Amino acid sequence: MKYSLKIAHLYGDLMNTYGDIGNIYALQYYGKFMDTEIIPQLISLNDTFNADDFDLVLFGGGQDFEQKVVSKDLLKKSSQITKFIENNGVFLGVCGGFQLIGKYYVTAEGEKVMGSGSLDHYTLNQNENRFIGNTIIEDPITHNKYHGFENHQGMTFLGKKGTSLGKVLEGYGNNGKDKTEGVHYKNTYGTYFHGPILTRNPKLAQELLIQALKNHYPNIDFNNFEKLSFPPTF
Amino acid sequence: MSFKSTLATFAGKSSYWILHNIFHRGSSLPGKIALKIDPEILKEIGKNYDVIVITGTNGKTLTTALTVRLLKNKYPELITNPSGSNMEQGIVGTFLKASKKKQKNLAILEIDEANVIKITRYIKPILFVFTNIFRDQLDRYGEIYTTYKKIIDGVKLAPNATIIANGDEPIFNSVNLPNKIIYYGFHLHPEDDNKDLKAPINTDGILCPKCQHIIHYHEIIYANLGNYFCPNCDFKRPKLNHFVNKLIQLTPKQSIFQIDNTDFTFNTGGLYNIYNVLAAYTVAKFFNIKDEIIKNILLDDKKVFGRQEVINIEDKKVTMMLIKNPVGFNQVVNTALSDSKPFTLVTLLNANYADGIDTSWIWDGNFEMLVNAKLSNGQKQIKQTILGGERYKDIVFRFKVAGQKEIIEEPKLDKIIDLIKQAPTKNIYVFATYTATLQFRNILSKYNYITEGIE
Repeated sequence: MKYSLKIAHLYGDLMNTYGDIGNIYALQYYGKFMDTEIIPQLISLNDTFNADDFDLVLFGGGQDFEQKVVSKDLLKKSSQITKFIENNGVFLGVCGGFQLIGKYYVTAEGEKVMGSGSLDHYTLNQNENRFIGNTIIEDPITHNKYHGFENHQGMTFLGKKGTSLGKVLEGYGNNGKDKTEGVHYKNTYGTYFHGPILTRNPKLAQELLIQALKNHYPNIDFNNFEKLSFPPTF
Repeated sequence: MSFKSTLATFAGKSSYWILHNIFHRGSSLPGKIALKIDPEILKEIGKNYDVIVITGTNGKTLTTALTVRLLKNKYPELITNPSGSNMEQGIVGTFLKASKKKQKNLAILEIDEANVIKITRYIKPILFVFTNIFRDQLDRYGEIYTTYKKIIDGVKLAPNATIIANGDEPIFNSVNLPNKIIYYGFHLHPEDDNKDLKAPINTDGILCPKCQHIIHYHEIIYANLGNYFCPNCDFKRPKLNHFVNKLIQLTPKQSIFQIDNTDFTFNTGGLYNIYNVLAAYTVAKFFNIKDEIIKNILLDDKKVFGRQEVINIEDKKVTMMLIKNPVGFNQVVNTALSDSKPFTLVTLLNANYADGIDTSWIWDGNFEMLVNAKLSNGQKQIKQTILGGERYKDIVFRFKVAGQKEIIEEPKLDKIIDLIKQAPTKNIYVFATYTATLQFRNILSKYNYITEGIE
């Protein structure tokens, strides 16, 4: 293939519940239509993450036990993660991976677990309740609608960095209160959507791929790829 | 017997009698009624029983059915609950239905993980059997650690019970309990005991519960099951009391293997089912059942609901396989791929409550291996792919992403029967989620391809 992009699968061996790996498969699948090869690399506990080595990052969701262990290791990677995000790298954080790029989250047991602090949202717990079900949101600017399945105990509140990924039309969203879902800051996307988000929402997968291509190949015009239109999958 | 429990028993029993004899149906209603009148009814109606509780994510139903068969000779009066009635109401119903005996009787019960405590609050089992804990319908319970904790909370009320646990499952070695524990597992290659392997990336439950490093393996059977050890501390697989030491032949319809160096043949395929046989075998050994008896019973090929029934549709041999979570799915795939001939694959995906309402698990299943599998002559193993079910769009896209180019998309189950009749192969495998299996069976019985009830 003509183009090639590297994706860091952050803690892919620990943060892998609810089919989040499907996001990588979706990028590889849609990448083929753009003559683009996607090369995943696992970055786990004690591995070094260099922001400059990657075009994309996927940070999936995990269970509290795994997330606590990840949080400790994350300290060593947080400055590079922040650098990657600030330099317009394409970053997708799902569920736990969304929570952990914020300030902190509180586990089901009430324990506070620190995030990388790259963004300024934070996550509280709810007692004996989870937000579970199908969900639909709408991007307030593009009016794109995204479909997903949410399943989370945390209630996330956005800070000043970025906007929500969309307004909740169906489901609970970040916290069940303010109708926001996820976060969008530069080329970083945080979300509670499983499903996985990129297999259900080809438009978003396309957006991520084109942004990453533009970053990596700044002198090439990818206008043709923007015109591609993919059928719904759900 | 208190007045309350007498009344509850009477009400439950009579509603059972009415439903069974007048309406000819079973139901969770008698249990519901009895519980309403006396929430502690189990204390009374369960007191004359030695209870065996079988729980875990996958394999509960088959392990329970096998255990019942293995112990039936020795305990002809034993009672058990039908598959699917594994919550409190169903258990109460099972006891209500049983006729009263003077001597102590045996009850072998499949219990949903979260319902263990609802039983042990009133009845102290003599034995617990743990199959495994995998990610399954987490929309119900949350996480594997939460699920295990729910089981343990129940077990803590019965510290004198013996536990029979899958020794290859790291989570079963993560909490210290006062109970006596008997472990079963696989130890196929003692010569590999120095090997150092890691589980594939997308495997759940691979953190050491003691020091939180990623655990390694000397031998991996499937998923996170195997001869595990922590490279950083002394956490490792416990010594196995009973183990499968050799796999002799595995086909989709039959497995031949050795447990404790004795040959057994089981007339249902699937490596995962050998774990269920092993669990039931371990219970049988606990009750001193002889190998010869176990051997003969395993050869009996009565099928358990949804698990690999073979149905004839005209000249086609249709094997039904239940799918519900990634680990189970991968095992079903391996079993179908052990067929030496090309086959037609039907996959039916639903997402109702009993299936798990979240379909994202399909992305953790190894569809890539399935789609790309080749026979020894280099031919593709899957000749034709037919996809359906209420969530056919999800499953179609999953196959596309896995690399499947030609797909027949058919949301109507009636039409799938026609497609099966016209299929290019004799062997057909139907992978279906729980409610899709029920719907498909209804269609099959409508056209008289099946008549007999299910066990």
